[in-house]
Amino acid sequence: MHLLLASIIDTVRQLGWGGAFELLRNGIVLGSLYALIALGYSMVYGILKLLNFAHGDIYMVGAFLGYGVFTQLGAPLSPVVSIVPLLILTFLAGMLGAGALGVVVERFAYRPLRNAPRIAPLISALGVAFFLENSVLLLTNGNRYNYNAFALGGDPNTGLPGTLFDPVFSVDGRPVTVVQVLVVATSVGLMVALTLLVRRTRLGKAMRATAYDREAATMMGIDTDLVITSTFFIGSVLAGAAGVMFGLYIGETYHFMGFLAGLKAFTAAVVGGIGSIPGAMVGGVLIGLTEAYATGYVGGQWSDLVVFGILILFMLLRPTGIFGARAIQKV
Amino acid sequence: MKKLVLLPLIATLAVAAAGSGGASTQSPAAAGSALIKCGKTRTIGMAAPLTGDAASLGLQQLRWAKFFVSRYNRAHKTKKFRLVQGDTQLPNTAQALAVAHQFASNSKILGLVGPAGSQEVQDTVAVYKAGGLAAVTGSATRVALTRSKPGKPRETPNGWFYRTVPNDDQQGARVANWIDKQLKKKRIYIIDDEEAYSQGLADQVQALLSARSGFHVSRDHVSQSVSDFSSLITRIPANTQIVYIPWQLAPKAQLFFTQLRANGKRAIVFGSDGLFAPGTFNAVGSYVSAFPIDFNSAALKAYTKSHGGKAEAFGLPSYTAALVNATAIDKACKDGKASRAEVHKFIKKTNLAKTKTLLGFSVRFLSKNAGASQGPGDMAAPADFAIFHIENGGKYVRVG
Amino acid sequence: MASGPDLPNVPDRPDAVDRPRIGVDEWVAEAEERRERGRGPGALFSRGWGTTPPAVKLLLLIAFAGTLPLYLNEGDLFSYGLYTLLYALLALGLNIVVGFAGLLDLGYVAFYGFGAYSYALLSSNHYGIHWQAEASIPVVVAATALLGLALGLTSRRLLGDYLAIVTLFFGQAFVAFTNNANPKVAGKGITGGSNGIPGVDPINLFGYELHSTKQYLYLLLIVFVLAATGLYFLNQSRTGRAWRALREDPLAAETMSIPVNRLKLMAFAFGAGTAGLAGAIFAAIQTGTVPGNFDISLLITIYAIVILGGLGSIAGPLVGAIVINVSFQFLAPSNDHPELKRWLFYGAIVVLVARIKPWTRAAFVLAGTAVFGIVVHAIVSSVAPSWTAGSVVDAGSTSRQIADWVVIPRGHASFNTIAYIALVGAIVTLAQVRGWWRAVGLIPTLYLVAVVWENVLVEQPAVTRLILFGALLIALMQARPQGLLGTARVEIV
Repeated sequence: MHLLLASIIDTVRQLGWGGAFELLRNGIVLGSLYALIALGYSMVYGILKLLNFAHGDIYMVGAFLGYGVFTQLGAPLSPVVSIVPLLILTFLAGMLGAGALGVVVERFAYRPLRNAPRIAPLISALGVAFFLENSVLLLTNGNRYNYNAFALGGDPNTGLPGTLFDPVFSVDGRPVTVVQVLVVATSVGLMVALTLLVRRTRLGKAMRATAYDREAATMMGIDTDLVITSTFFIGSVLAGAAGVMFGLYIGETYHFMGFLAGLKAFTAAVVGGIGSIPGAMVGGVLIGLTEAYATGYVGGQWSDLVVFGILILFMLLRPTGIFGARAIQKV
Repeated sequence: MKKLVLLPLIATLAVAAAGSGGASTQSPAAAGSALIKCGKTRTIGMAAPLTGDAASLGLQQLRWAKFFVSRYNRAHKTKKFRLVQGDTQLPNTAQALAVAHQFASNSKILGLVGPAGSQEVQDTVAVYKAGGLAAVTGSATRVALTRSKPGKPRETPNGWFYRTVPNDDQQGARVANWIDKQLKKKRIYIIDDEEAYSQGLADQVQALLSARSGFHVSRDHVSQSVSDFSSLITRIPANTQIVYIPWQLAPKAQLFFTQLRANGKRAIVFGSDGLFAPGTFNAVGSYVSAFPIDFNSAALKAYTKSHGGKAEAFGLPSYTAALVNATAIDKACKDGKASRAEVHKFIKKTNLAKTKTLLGFSVRFLSKNAGASQGPGDMAAPADFAIFHIENGGKYVRVG
Repeated sequence: MASGPDLPNVPDRPDAVDRPRIGVDEWVAEAEERRERGRGPGALFSRGWGTTPPAVKLLLLIAFAGTLPLYLNEGDLFSYGLYTLLYALLALGLNIVVGFAGLLDLGYVAFYGFGAYSYALLSSNHYGIHWQAEASIPVVVAATALLGLALGLTSRRLLGDYLAIVTLFFGQAFVAFTNNANPKVAGKGITGGSNGIPGVDPINLFGYELHSTKQYLYLLLIVFVLAATGLYFLNQSRTGRAWRALREDPLAAETMSIPVNRLKLMAFAFGAGTAGLAGAIFAAIQTGTVPGNFDISLLITIYAIVILGGLGSIAGPLVGAIVINVSFQFLAPSNDHPELKRWLFYGAIVVLVARIKPWTRAAFVLAGTAVFGIVVHAIVSSVAPSWTAGSVVDAGSTSRQIADWVVIPRGHASFNTIAYIALVGAIVTLAQVRGWWRAVGLIPTLYLVAVVWENVLVEQPAVTRLILFGALLIALMQARPQGLLGTARVEIV
């Protein structure tokens, strides 16, 4: 044990402030992606008390749809449009496609089970996840596709990064690239838009009411079916955006990518307090930072365990998550 | 009411489904020595991970095996081969065990390609042996499967395991020598992907280079499920000259390379045969150790053309494994009848020319220990690895 | 018949089918009566089954499973018999935690793994310790139960979904520990990393060593029968009643001074112990253990088995295990009966279509699909021959007929993707329409199903079974959300 601690301290000293900044940067970028996916989990749980295990696969489909449009438009080696419209189209494809899929999944797998015991939609969600993952496996033969946004605007023959990976600014020699700023800015923008939607619009009010008490909301004349469909749509749109951004930033798109990302986002949602929107955002960034620092300082062998250990301790100390409300049980 | 009718219905269906296998013989031992009529279509079993974490690797191997079968079937009119697939779902070896029992009991199967993973081999070879099937695999590279070393006994019974791919120690020795003698770099950072294949290679290279003077060798691990390597890259010191990544998944290695460059680190990336994937791993300036494939062979060109421009060299040894089985079965079937024991005999005596194996060397199997790290079941010399350099445009050029 | 005040004759709401029957106690009371009233063979069987004592049911099971080796070959015995019983044992343990006590434990497979590794450490070449099974198995079960107790301690602070997430972490942490961390103890890595621990001894009971599949089958059968019997008695006892109270309403149970915390710990411990026992036997069967054996997909399978069988019933896990494992192994590509599978597939479609009432509509759909297919095939083969030039995979005697009916192109790479997505889209649209429109729309959809089957699914049988498994889970939850042997629950407001 003390050997491990000694090596951690050694690494911290070796990496210094520059290394610490790099890990901070990595954690924030990846954390904002987790936050976007976690938002979908939290919103759906808040309204239906359902853990939508298929959410990660909607993220995966969003990434694939974005990939399809990205490559059909000739990118990254010979794009037919310039970078900004290219990115906008890719985003739209991923987001709208994922949203549509989310609505279809809700209609088919969850709506008929609205009054069934809670475990039935859970299993149905697992069935949907299996179905989506393996359908994509079937259609792609398990191949791993790569957006290769790395080469966009650059010269593929030299192996050096293209425009998206140019540094915007550097701290202690560690670059922060265009794509990283893009990811964080888009995530923050989408989260702000969501918060405004929930707090300022009628639909948002209806969503909050339905989350609080579905029966009462129906009696107040709110069309809960429409509200639930919109919740799924918005959550899936966010997940689709996260998928496209993951593709642009990291690149890899394959059938199983939604599983692990979904798991981490689910963790983020619970750590932040499931059902709470600011909780999902904070939880996502927290998970991202924990992972980055654990990997950076502890290294591959023990880093996973350290992350789990920290999370378990956190949950024991604060059982309902950061923003989770202590549920008042009615007797 | 209705729901409890389901119970006996389920039971009957279960029996029917299970009992539909009644055509095969009862025990694997009987199936091993049973003489069956060869007929026009002969059956080879293929055990590989077709779903789950390692699906992309298993499917590559399946594609190459299917490529062999379709070429063979087109070239021959009176005899055909058929593949029976077994999904082993690596790294969960429980299904590999079930597949092994089913193949062993299926009396139509005369030969076996696989199992793909070293862990699977160690758990299932006893079952295959009981059924008389010798495992001929294109990817299980752990040294202990064929060669015992002090502290690590040989893990398979002699004569029941063959592989059409050189083992980890051979590859590790080649890589270490190249880094030392040719590249002459001293600061190495080794990262394995926490799977058996990778850990074996990384251990070997680390041991060999650490023993030589003047080398600065660091070792790290990363999970196969990680795509964001930025924090891992942070750990790599800026003055590292070579990063050795003996990974199985070429797309991951490509991601690692681009992220490494995006973070401003200029180390040379050195990969193993899992990364030999023209079209996927285009890391200009990198080195890859792989078998000396001949890019100009007609078969390789045909495969690349029909599979979207991807050569997928990881699965190539499965083609050779299928070829080994097919040749042995053909010889055993010359008199119209064959048994698994006969096929096994012919597999031991395999002698295939360089032009047919597609690996760049001829294939014969050892029956005794040879060299520093080879044992019975490994391929005899000249089977060894070559070093490739990736030039501008992603072109693979053989340099050693 | 009504037990309360007379209800006025108000017509049902249009969506009455979707809504729970609120406040209608007599519907609950009538459930039993409906069973008594039934006249068909199904009702007769269900009455008979309900009145047979559990001992007889157990004897039937033993007779059925015990005679399996007589007609199954070894490979089928292994995958159908052995694995079904193993999963049933695991599901039995999970049923204690989820079904009886109502706690969502997503780290259950870690106990299975812990049992396997403990047995492997005590009876293998890894450290040279070779305890016999009668010594090592009790130790393994006790150790795993203690671990379950430790995990159960977290359930004091955490409720519902939060407990789920901590147990999930625990499960993931176990895999991370065995695969990556692998700390060095007494000179070598304790869990052997990704290679696991090979060379585990087979089960050696008082000198009698078990080697063959048949012997392990009998061992598992005995263990399962003992576990099920023990569980049955536990269920009948005070503890079982307390667990049921805890599951239905934890708050009410606590106010009735039922020791809720102690019961939760007991549930965890019992469930973990069962999993540990199953793990030890599994390690002996596989003569080794690797971390990949204990991943999340196994957890999902066991959960599906428990839910399918019905939470809280004792025969449920066995029924669920039979349904899921048998269909899984049957659909596996290594089960080498492609013709049989094809017949079953088309047969199942015909049976499902035949359930459409009235029979004229069903006949119309079937006949229409056949004609549609012939017409489309004729048109396509005359206009663009390469689209029907492909050959049928593994069809045997019916390949001519199928080749004349289904469009199988050769060399058009994206056809498969488009056909598959078109099929999913067709099913989605079909669900929106009703009546004759649905019957008409069913014809091209069924033809598309056949096209996708012959072109895509037969080529990749391994993935197909997982897709069908996913679709099965979705459909089953809608048809019968309480599982096969669970009881219909009614919300009383």
